Amino acid sequence: MSRLSIQALTKCYAGAAAVANIDLDVAEGEFVSLLGPSGCGKTTTLRCVAGLETPTSGKVLFGDRDVTRVPPERRRIGMVFQNYALFPHMTIRENIGFGLEMRGVRGSEANKRISSVLDMVQLTGFEDRWPRQLSGGQQQRVALARALIVEPAVLLLDEPLANLDAKLRDEMRFFIRALQQRIGITTLYVTHDQAESMALSDRIVVMFAGRIHQTGTPQHIYDRPATKQVAKFIGQANLIAGKVVHRCNEVATVDTSVGRLLCATNCAVEPGTPATAMVRPEAMQLVKECSPNAFPGRIMERHFLGNIVDYRVATADGTVLAIQALGSIVHDAGEVVSVQIDPKKAWLLE
Amino acid sequence: MTEASEIRVRHWLLAAPALSLIGLFLLIPYINIGIMSFRTPSTTAPYGPGYTVANYVHILSDSLYLSLLAETLLFATVTTAVCLLMAFPVAFHLARTTSRWRGLLYAGVLSPLLTGVVIRCFGWIVLLANNGLVNQALGTVGLGPFQLMYNATGVTIALVHVFLPFMILPLMTAIQSIDPHWEEAARTLGASRTRVFQRIMLPLILPGLQSGVILVFVLAASAYVIPMLLGGGRVQTLPTVIFQQLMGGLLWPFGAALALTLSFAVLASIWAFVFLGRKRMRGLA
Repeated sequence: MSRLSIQALTKCYAGAAAVANIDLDVAEGEFVSLLGPSGCGKTTTLRCVAGLETPTSGKVLFGDRDVTRVPPERRRIGMVFQNYALFPHMTIRENIGFGLEMRGVRGSEANKRISSVLDMVQLTGFEDRWPRQLSGGQQQRVALARALIVEPAVLLLDEPLANLDAKLRDEMRFFIRALQQRIGITTLYVTHDQAESMALSDRIVVMFAGRIHQTGTPQHIYDRPATKQVAKFIGQANLIAGKVVHRCNEVATVDTSVGRLLCATNCAVEPGTPATAMVRPEAMQLVKECSPNAFPGRIMERHFLGNIVDYRVATADGTVLAIQALGSIVHDAGEVVSVQIDPKKAWLLE
Repeated sequence: MTEASEIRVRHWLLAAPALSLIGLFLLIPYINIGIMSFRTPSTTAPYGPGYTVANYVHILSDSLYLSLLAETLLFATVTTAVCLLMAFPVAFHLARTTSRWRGLLYAGVLSPLLTGVVIRCFGWIVLLANNGLVNQALGTVGLGPFQLMYNATGVTIALVHVFLPFMILPLMTAIQSIDPHWEEAARTLGASRTRVFQRIMLPLILPGLQSGVILVFVLAASAYVIPMLLGGGRVQTLPTVIFQQLMGGLLWPFGAALALTLSFAVLASIWAFVFLGRKRMRGLA
């Protein structure tokens, strides 16, 4: 188990930077996700940590040990691939035992450890099967067992749930989190699925175009996104453009096309600067009467989803907002309502 | 008729054209050769009256024919080994490259098969003769001339040239079926490049390697035109001797017995090779 530090990491392919000057520290036993759309550099970053790619510049450290030039086989890592990468010509026992075999652990000691990890991933009795005889979820658990048996310093997972169907994905999500908590291993997890990263991680690193846009807890990233891209990538977001008229401590008054809004902010914006107000669909309420921090709108569409109701509301200037309300249907399409925004949940973006 | 037997009949019908072709042009001639090999020789007809095992006794008791058989198998083995060594890097590159010249490289691999065997042999004669292009080139830097033709070297060079595609293609297919993630997973689990090759690559390449080796071995052991033209009569293999028996000596029964002996020896070699590789290929079928 060790701390993982990535320092000023850059990886270029044919002159273009896939990863540009990234810094990241993962504490001992912490679960950190790299989240971003495909091509954002998250997998390249992970592969640099694994030693499967050589960084163009920058460093990778496990604890105080600089592993930047260390080949993957001497890094003490465990890695799980998107397609599991189980060896087709080896049984489950041989697959799981491969790391031990490479370290010269044999015989009863090896068998004991294989049984123990198989028990951990709940696959006892599968020792003599072949990978192709297992379902996707089972193969994934074998891949996990194979990575964990060598007691790696860092566990690396590259979109491990992407090839599973939705129901199994949810199950495996809880399984991976519980397992990680139990053994307390430092984990770096790559995904493009924001729900997955939220459910699993202690912290999320959101990447776009080779750069880190934001690092923080799932709650923080959801409520206080650093950039418009982050706001749009994580959950649904209504972005309303406007201009700052006044700021008092952490509350800014913004003139937008839909009306004057109060927003929370943490940056020292000057009055007169253009800015964007970000409001999550569930941070808006539909009320009958006009009230502070509210403006009129007309309901365009209404979709009942069971636990929530999705509304599309057009404001006076034509901006369409996505609004979610809990519970049963209260409003109908065509109805004129007042949209009220909780000022603590409106967030100012530059 | 039940459904299952109906399907079985349909499967047989689908296989019928190929089966009849094999039966007509392979099985029946082989049976014919088999019968012929037990006939007695004759100077006026293809064979004389009655049956005998004398042809086989002659082959198996005469060290001339046994050493010829051994030499032929050795020729095939050396050709196969050289093909394997040369094919491996090419197959690996072709399987993994993303170059836009991939198609051209592929055509290059197949190019030995694009000309007829006689034309190709004359091409090699132009290159390998004592005053041929290769020796002329070597002469300009003060080397040679080397005897590159009318000996085993020349025959092997030409055999390797034409059979190389038969080794490259199955190897390439096998390598293509290896997911690079398997190699990477093995690396992260503590395997060096050498160990990855031994434990991951080689076992997965084996089926392709086996097909390539069998193809090249069989083709090289039965090659006739290349040993004939590039050997210039000074290199004798069993196929060239069989031809002399049939066409020169008109000894059809003895030629037939020689041909069957060669077939049997080649089959036995392949069987031994497959048997030896069987243990390492488990789980791959």
